[in-house]
Amino acid sequence: MHDHPLLDGLRIEPTPGPTSIVIFGASGDLTQRKLLPALYHLSRGQRLPARFTVIGVARTALGDDGFRKKFRDSIKEFAGVDAESDDVAASLTQRMFYMSGELDEPALYDRLAVRLRENGGDHGVLYYLAIPPSAYRSVVERLGAAGLTAAERGWRRIIVEKPFGTDLHSARALNHVLHAHFSEEQVFRIDHYLGKETVQNLMVFRFANGMFEPIWNRRYIDHVQITAAETVGVERRAAYYEGAGALRDMVQNHLMQLLTLVAMEPPIAFTAESVRDRKMDALLSVQPLVDGAHGPSPRIVRAQYAAGWVLGAEVPGYRSEPGVAPGSTTETYVAMRLHLDNWRWAGVPFYLRTGKRLPKRTTEIAIQFRRPPMQIFKRVSPTSVSPNLLIVNVQPDEGISVRFEAKLPGTRMQLAPVMMNFRYGTAFGGTVPEAYETLLLDAMLGEPTLFARHDFVEASWALITPVLERWRSAGPKPIPQYEAGEWGPAEVDVLMAEDGRRWRTL
Amino acid sequence: MSTHASEPLLPRGIETSFAGIDAAFAQVGHGQRLRHPRGLTATVIVIGPRERLLEATDALEHLVGVRAILIAEGAETAPTVRVTDYAIAIDGLRGDYINNAVAALRLSSLPSLAWWRGGASASLEGLADLADRLVLDTADPQAGWNHARTLLDRAAFTDLRWTRLTRWRALMAHLMDIPEVRDAAASMTALRVDAGDAHLAHLFVAWLRSSLEWGGKLTVDVRNAPGGAPLEAVHLGNGRQGLTLRLMPGRTCIEAVASVDGRPGASQTVSLGDQGLAALINEELRIRARDVAFEKALAALDPAG
Repeated sequence: MHDHPLLDGLRIEPTPGPTSIVIFGASGDLTQRKLLPALYHLSRGQRLPARFTVIGVARTALGDDGFRKKFRDSIKEFAGVDAESDDVAASLTQRMFYMSGELDEPALYDRLAVRLRENGGDHGVLYYLAIPPSAYRSVVERLGAAGLTAAERGWRRIIVEKPFGTDLHSARALNHVLHAHFSEEQVFRIDHYLGKETVQNLMVFRFANGMFEPIWNRRYIDHVQITAAETVGVERRAAYYEGAGALRDMVQNHLMQLLTLVAMEPPIAFTAESVRDRKMDALLSVQPLVDGAHGPSPRIVRAQYAAGWVLGAEVPGYRSEPGVAPGSTTETYVAMRLHLDNWRWAGVPFYLRTGKRLPKRTTEIAIQFRRPPMQIFKRVSPTSVSPNLLIVNVQPDEGISVRFEAKLPGTRMQLAPVMMNFRYGTAFGGTVPEAYETLLLDAMLGEPTLFARHDFVEASWALITPVLERWRSAGPKPIPQYEAGEWGPAEVDVLMAEDGRRWRTL
Repeated sequence: MSTHASEPLLPRGIETSFAGIDAAFAQVGHGQRLRHPRGLTATVIVIGPRERLLEATDALEHLVGVRAILIAEGAETAPTVRVTDYAIAIDGLRGDYINNAVAALRLSSLPSLAWWRGGASASLEGLADLADRLVLDTADPQAGWNHARTLLDRAAFTDLRWTRLTRWRALMAHLMDIPEVRDAAASMTALRVDAGDAHLAHLFVAWLRSSLEWGGKLTVDVRNAPGGAPLEAVHLGNGRQGLTLRLMPGRTCIEAVASVDGRPGASQTVSLGDQGLAALINEELRIRARDVAFEKALAALDPAG
């Protein structure tokens, strides 16, 4: 039901009502690289409301003019837009304000309350925590103490960036703090993978097509491989990454989200609760990653990149990166085998791998089907039959591909695998929105489907935390190394070979 | 006589007859790198006088994943046909055979969008049964609109003027999101539209009338803006409250300003978006359903123009 009839049949939709976004950490990298360009693109595409303001909050003394300059610089660098000659940018610039102060200083929040009242007390207000996780508690508590987490009219919501804790205990503590001042409906835990077009399309692919769901189970699927490969190293994030590692940084959030989207049962409706309930069911069915009381789990391989050559350049090993301890055992690579205890997936392994300094940047889900029960072409075709494969390319070339066998043209019966490709970049024309555009808009609209719910975060940590504890108890002994620019250590191939399988070459 | 008379509808490709289209396709596809190798999402059938098809050809060059059929209306029963890797152009086909050509060339596996750029409006009858959507795009739309009104239960219609209004409509709707503006909407008494395209202006007025059910209490003043953009400005007000939408000097953005009790209530500047033919048709290609808002606006237009 629309609020007013002019919205009926509108092609550009939906648009939130009057909104103020308050960005904590407004002078930081995330704001410059992602948030400000996303807001510009939303404005350009007419997705922001007519009454809209951005209030940047950070420790750095900038002032409104300084923040506006940062906005102009940001869209020039990351959106290729010259704000001086762009009417949309000029209009948006006038809606940007800045407040400097210590994030734990109550007076800052009193000033914020005044500014929000000036903007219109019945607005919706979206708080964005683009700050280090160590500052989350302080900001949330100060917002609560200043009475800024609820309103008589309008709405108040908060976006929390990952990491949502560093283990189960800290995740619970963070949720506890959040829930002391915001209801769960007000909390939007952002995982930018969920804003990607292909990830959303995975649900459409599965649940809007009648032909895939009947074979989406243990009878027809042999195994699933989920890969998230990065070419970059630790960059300037060593301070964070040393305490995190690939398991916390990628597996607990991004890969678990992808896993559950593949494994979930069909929701009864495309509503946030129904979708998130079914994802939760899938996550709860994952067998514990650590069994038995002693020794490392045979299902998980961790490793660290050594010096090597990536994308045409020599790069240092992880332990030689600035800010990394020479004896660091932080993993930059993780591969694991998971099993799900439910009727759909019993006996079907899910293989996950993620790493830094790999040969190419790519994220994909590969679903490998069982071979036909009989090889009737075995005697006439010199080549063996490849199993069917369904590949969901999450990034960078978003799309879906299907591999199947075809007869090679000619007088002989010779088989060869061929691909059928669907690519977002070419199929529909137009521009695919950045994940942050989608997610910011969804948060303003109060649409939580693509955000992580508190129980999902905790269940995911409940799986991961025993692994972290096992590694910690193993002490500081060296972990396997892999040469930068290669697909991980030899141990990961063993993980697959034990099952008679091999990783896809990407 | 137009200087376009000898210019082929497609600048390249193989000349053939209607019966030779399949063979020509095989020939252009053989050994060549196809322009759209990754698959097609729609067939766009462009119908109209040949000079208006030449303009459409340029637009089609910029569409991705589209199979194009261009049919220039004429008097021939055996017209010249030209085939490229993504398009078929039929030059000078007799009007009453257009439907036969479309029926033979459309693919059941792809959605079909008919882009009607003029000619005998009677051809819309047959097209309504062959195309999933019909996009009207003629200099004088009245005959097409009148005919479309009788066919709405058979096909999904729209008009490229309507597509040009997308951003304007959205902006007007966004202003109505502001509670005090919405409260004031019922008391609006005067609507002024400055437009270079009077038909488009009337379509916009009809949309507002049909959506807000204003009836007769609104005074409408549509002013011609010679040489101006299809729509230059819209002002809706009652003396104290007002909504103003206007094209900004660079003509790439629209500014919207709401004033409540004589004070500025809110303002917004948005991109007008790409108003080129390729972008407009691309927008229509993304829509597969009936456009009820357009149909209501069409019904609210004066059939006599």
